[in-house]
Amino acid sequence: MGLHVAPNTAEQSPIIEFRNVEKSFGPIKVLDQLCFSVKPGEHLALIGPSGSGKTTILRMLMTLESVTAGDVIVNGVSLNHEYKSGKELPASEAHLRKMRSDFGMVFQHFNLFPHKTAIQNVTLAPVLTGLLSKAEAKERGLKLLKKVGLADKAGEYPSRLSGGQKQRVAIARALALQPKILLLDEITSALDPELVEEVLNVITDLRNETDMTMLLVTHEMGFAKDFADRVLFFERGKIVEEGPPGEIFQAPHHERTKSFLRKVIAAGHRV
Amino acid sequence: MENLEALIGYGWYILTGAWATVQLTVFSCIVALVVAMIAGIVLTSNSHLVRLVARFYVEFFRGTSVFVQLFAAYFVLPLVGIALSPIQAGVLALGLNGGAYGAEVVRAAINAVGRDQREATIALNLTRWQALWWVILPQAVVLMLPSFGNLAIEIMKGTAVASLITVSELTFQAETVRSQTGDTAIPFLLIMVTYLAMASLMMAFVRWLEKLFGRGITSKST
Repeated sequence: MGLHVAPNTAEQSPIIEFRNVEKSFGPIKVLDQLCFSVKPGEHLALIGPSGSGKTTILRMLMTLESVTAGDVIVNGVSLNHEYKSGKELPASEAHLRKMRSDFGMVFQHFNLFPHKTAIQNVTLAPVLTGLLSKAEAKERGLKLLKKVGLADKAGEYPSRLSGGQKQRVAIARALALQPKILLLDEITSALDPELVEEVLNVITDLRNETDMTMLLVTHEMGFAKDFADRVLFFERGKIVEEGPPGEIFQAPHHERTKSFLRKVIAAGHRV
Repeated sequence: MENLEALIGYGWYILTGAWATVQLTVFSCIVALVVAMIAGIVLTSNSHLVRLVARFYVEFFRGTSVFVQLFAAYFVLPLVGIALSPIQAGVLALGLNGGAYGAEVVRAAINAVGRDQREATIALNLTRWQALWWVILPQAVVLMLPSFGNLAIEIMKGTAVASLITVSELTFQAETVRSQTGDTAIPFLLIMVTYLAMASLMMAFVRWLEKLFGRGITSKST
């Protein structure tokens, strides 16, 4: 693991703010009056038991879910609402598309397009969104595939790739749009154990070589500890405890955090 | 021997009807495909009103007999100033009838493409139409093709009803021979074999399309 230098964020305004966000699916409240903020360049790990709302946070940022109440602010602009003639209106598709351009997301199950080769998966969006010409997109796509160690797999369809290779293509695809904020949703959960490391190594390189803000939802506590500048521990849609990884993993204050980490260690995960 | 001479004698006459059958089949399939795609996509729309229009079309053409639709196209449309040739009326009726069944195939196939694919298109900031055209439809087409193959064969077999509005297609020609010669077995055996040959060619074409569109989707994982 490389040297971690926490970004100098003391004077910076947040790039993401959750303001009293609530999210319910029917009678089930997934997020409950959630408030937290993320500073530009910060690397955040979101941990906690299944169903605690971690993934919902990433999905909200990617506009795959809407808020039930409260607001999510990105770069000072509401994600869920827009203001026209002084009136607050639900975000239009055009507003959402504008807001999405700051984000890239890597999914647990890769979500690659099976009818496209690796390079086509990476180049499709930059060309269709008008960010790059076909030639530029291909050049950048090949660079990104090289960066994730898959230069020789550019012409392969996802069905011919291993889980780890698929996830690395998915990372390259998310990076092709040059996002300011990268959302990583349990990116190793669907992988065989021996394939996890190759994916985590790519994320580690990205963490150390770019100034992207990164939000990681993971059950890999050892990786979260090495990756994060700050760790948020969630339960039942609320932040139970937050702090630097050294504090959360070595000397947690809250009893619930302690018991969660004890169970994780008992299950054989490195912390 | 007599049968063989008879076959040679009027076999060619019957087979001249094959051209009309091919024309009816090809043009009806094109109309059905275009209409099925449009109606099927509309059936997945978020707009209740446009869905309702497409739903009315589908239910109307599925719920009424193709015979009635054919007669309406040929005999009723002229009353409102739209006069069609027998072939045009056949293509219109068979195409719209097939399109109604095809629309349901298209709708089901689009809905069968996983939610993960739609979410990936949102995460990549594609518009709905870009997502549909570049991501959803190419995968849905692979799911549609086997049913479309069946539908195309149904349309081809359905062209026989066009004989009722004087289209000189295979069945019409066979019926003419039967009524003039009294020979039933050979004419109908001949058109059965011809229909079967056409259906086999169509299925081979659909299987080729499945292979073409299925690249990456139907290949085996390593």
